[in-house]
Amino acid sequence: MSTIYLGEFEELMLTMVGILKEEAYGNAIVEEVKAQLERKVNLSAVHVTLYRLEDKGLLKSFMGGATNERGGRRKRYFELTSAGVKVLQSLQEQRMKLWKLVPELKFSI
Amino acid sequence: MHQPPKFIQSLLAKICPEYLWEGIAGDLEEQFYYDIEELGYKRAKQNYFWNAVKFIRPEILLRNKFKLKINNTIMITNYIKIAGRHMARRKLFTFINAFGLSIGLAFALLIYLYIQDEHSFDKFHANAERIYRVEEYAYRAWDPDPENPYIQSPWLQTPFAPTVKEELAEVEFAARFDTGEEYVVKSGKKIFTEPITFTDPDFFKMFSFPIVSGNQNEFLKEKHHAIITEAMAKKYFNDVDPLGATLLIDIDGEKEFEVVGVMQNPPANSSLYFDILVNQTHRFNYERSLANWSSFNTPTFVQLRKGADYAQFFDNLQGIRDKYMSERLARSKERYSIPDDVTQFEYHTTRLDNIHLNNNMYWHKVSDPQYSYILGALALLITIIAAINYISLALTTSTLRSTEVGVRKSIGASKNQLISQFAVESVVLVFVSLILGVLLMYLFLPTFNDFTGKAIELNFLNLLEIAGFAVLISLAIGLLAGAYPAFFLSSFSPTRVLKGGASTKVRAGIARPLVLLQFTLSTTLIISAFVMYQQMKYITTKDLGFKKDQVLVVPIQLGWTEEANLAVERVRNNLQNEPDIVSVAGTTSSFNRGWSRYGYEINGENKKAYVWAVDPSYINAMGIELLEGRNFSASIPSDTTALIVNEALVKDMGWDTPLDEYLNWREDTASLGYKVIGVVKDYHFRSLESEIEPMFLSMDKYEIGYYTTLLIKLKAGSLPGALDKVEEAFNESIPDKPFEYTFLDEDIQSQYASFERWMNIMGLATIFALLISGLGLFGLAGINVVNRMKEIGIRKVFGAPVSSIFILVNKQFVLMALIAFIIAAPLASYLMNNWWLGDFQFKIEMGWPIYVVSFLIGLTVALLTVTYHGIRAARLNPTSTLRYE
Repeated sequence: MSTIYLGEFEELMLTMVGILKEEAYGNAIVEEVKAQLERKVNLSAVHVTLYRLEDKGLLKSFMGGATNERGGRRKRYFELTSAGVKVLQSLQEQRMKLWKLVPELKFSI
Repeated sequence: MHQPPKFIQSLLAKICPEYLWEGIAGDLEEQFYYDIEELGYKRAKQNYFWNAVKFIRPEILLRNKFKLKINNTIMITNYIKIAGRHMARRKLFTFINAFGLSIGLAFALLIYLYIQDEHSFDKFHANAERIYRVEEYAYRAWDPDPENPYIQSPWLQTPFAPTVKEELAEVEFAARFDTGEEYVVKSGKKIFTEPITFTDPDFFKMFSFPIVSGNQNEFLKEKHHAIITEAMAKKYFNDVDPLGATLLIDIDGEKEFEVVGVMQNPPANSSLYFDILVNQTHRFNYERSLANWSSFNTPTFVQLRKGADYAQFFDNLQGIRDKYMSERLARSKERYSIPDDVTQFEYHTTRLDNIHLNNNMYWHKVSDPQYSYILGALALLITIIAAINYISLALTTSTLRSTEVGVRKSIGASKNQLISQFAVESVVLVFVSLILGVLLMYLFLPTFNDFTGKAIELNFLNLLEIAGFAVLISLAIGLLAGAYPAFFLSSFSPTRVLKGGASTKVRAGIARPLVLLQFTLSTTLIISAFVMYQQMKYITTKDLGFKKDQVLVVPIQLGWTEEANLAVERVRNNLQNEPDIVSVAGTTSSFNRGWSRYGYEINGENKKAYVWAVDPSYINAMGIELLEGRNFSASIPSDTTALIVNEALVKDMGWDTPLDEYLNWREDTASLGYKVIGVVKDYHFRSLESEIEPMFLSMDKYEIGYYTTLLIKLKAGSLPGALDKVEEAFNESIPDKPFEYTFLDEDIQSQYASFERWMNIMGLATIFALLISGLGLFGLAGINVVNRMKEIGIRKVFGAPVSSIFILVNKQFVLMALIAFIIAAPLASYLMNNWWLGDFQFKIEMGWPIYVVSFLIGLTVALLTVTYHGIRAARLNPTSTLRYE
């Protein structure tokens, strides 16, 4: 568990799944990224990254109930595994630790 | 209700793993409906399409097809390891296999480079697709030939370029490009002759030859401008910047030219070549030819405007003809009574990038596109031959693997696993061969360039293309050739193999006809190469009717002037008392350096004859045999209007006593014409590709032309000293002109350069094919021996001598060489007679020695290659093969 490295986009996806909780599926993530970061991401890239994170054991997926508006197709929902949560937390800690070490940013105007 | 595009949806459904499909398709569709609301149906549909397309990526595809399990990668490394061990254990077979394949690959790659080069001609010009060479098709009024009624030529009238540029809206630029004529060029102490190209300023706007220095917009704007290539800059000015320097060029009198630009040397794949470019207006009689629509003296290129309609342009070209040539055409129509339905003259065009492969017209470096096809076919054949070897060799060794296969199967290897194991093995081998093949190609490239007269260099671009091509064909060979052995090996039954030992028979079924095919092709190549060699030998040693050895060809370099004739006399006088010099002759042109031909009318019949102006020494110097009459004499004044004719002319005229005859070869003179004073035996004044046609010699330099060339006969074995003396005499007699010389026999030989190159390529192909089919035969012989192990064992037990077993094993290969020969002989004789020898008027008969020698070569190769197996079989210890029976 100690050495899992994530790419920027992988990290973003992992975080998004964390944010959206029960509502985390492909399209919702695209919309949420657009809403929060004003960034356009590609649906296929989102899917592929989610699968990769699933392969790494950080996410797991299941199919939701049938809906009407998607041509009757079910959604594939993603959620964090406990490993995923740990990675997310440790990433956050690492960021903060490093952030504190940056001297110039301690506002010496 | 709007629907997402069905096509892309179903495509995606096919390639997408099933378990992911529902989620993906749902998301896509959801997005699609959002988009409809936000952006409208049309944009939504586009977005859907692109979003869907982006799902076609390896992460999705690979999930579907082969999920790479860790397990598998271990197996593959294991396969590679096993393949390596197997190869190391059977070094000879591996070597033969890899070597055969790499030779095939190397040859295919070389041919690929050749064809690539052929098709790359002139493509480097940015406007290549809009530049056309304009040509004329003129009806042969003089000598109509129903098969070939038009003379096709790229030479146009001098006023054509300025006229079309002014009158035709489609034409953006037009440049005349008249190249090749050599003139004396001087700069300081450097003095040489160089081909000078006459062109127009538009030339630099049309063509993309890179400029090294100078402002191309100013090139040739002034009459005294000259543009030179880098090679010329180096030759005349070393490394000093030549811009602004002066060159003295002797065109119709010495003139000063200022160098205003330097261009890169034209690349080897350019149909246009030049060394020094000067303005059109310097051409001999330029002003006069500018007003003349009846003489065709300069090639012309035009560049069409962007978007111009070619059909319209073509029509307009004929309009130019009607406007400027109709009077003249009407006159000749009447004069030669040309039927009304004949089009007498038409302008045609060839696009710049097609010039190289248009061999209907004489041009610098044209080539027959057929050569590319034939070479391509040769390369394909050799590659196939190499692949065949691979199969038969793999089959030969397969019995040795049977135990391994049996063990693998009995511990649970599936058939698919075994197939992939052998597939991996063949791919490994092919890649080893690929590396070897590329190396061989690299090594052979200079030789290949020599043989083909090309200057192909490996650069990043074609290397990339070559690499792609090489990987492609090696994968194809690896998979195709590896498939059969792989299936064959994996089909072994474990119980039989493990119980009964190595007894599975190899089916040589497909290998035998394939090897026969190999051998037939190789024998065809052997015979063809032999015929070519014999023909080359024939034309280079045939008695030409004159003595071409020990003759120096020295251009006088004084142009068509009276002065040239005087110079000949001075050289002759200077060399008169030299014991090493046999004689000095002046002539209008040497043997392969162009000719003149006159048409004349006798009793209403059109006749033609070649003509040379010569001096009295000519016939002696060349060793031409005089049959009747006498040679010219300097002391008989009337000889300036006398003729010596050849036998062909006498026959053509139907003369019984030629010495009483006159030849009125100028159609416009009313007199009797010139008196015939001698008849020479027919000699080959042109190459052996053509018949000996009527010809006459004359001393009338005013009518026929001044001397341009000295032919100096040297005494045998006196070369270095004599050469020095000639040079001395030349410099003394013709000061300020460069002394350059060639040997007549080499000049004559060079007429056959393209045939010689072709012979070389065939020779190379033959050697490759022989090597590879020898290896193929080796493989087949191996199969044969393996299959008959037991039979051989039993025969030996019963006391058969080694020699009888050797014969037993090899008998069928002698038979095979014979069958191959029986098929190949008529094939080769057809090909050679109809294609190669058809070009020669004087050719060898394909007599029996050619066939016998070719057959013997084929047989020898066959026997040599099978001997190894023959000896091995004969010396086999019967106990090893019969142990299990």
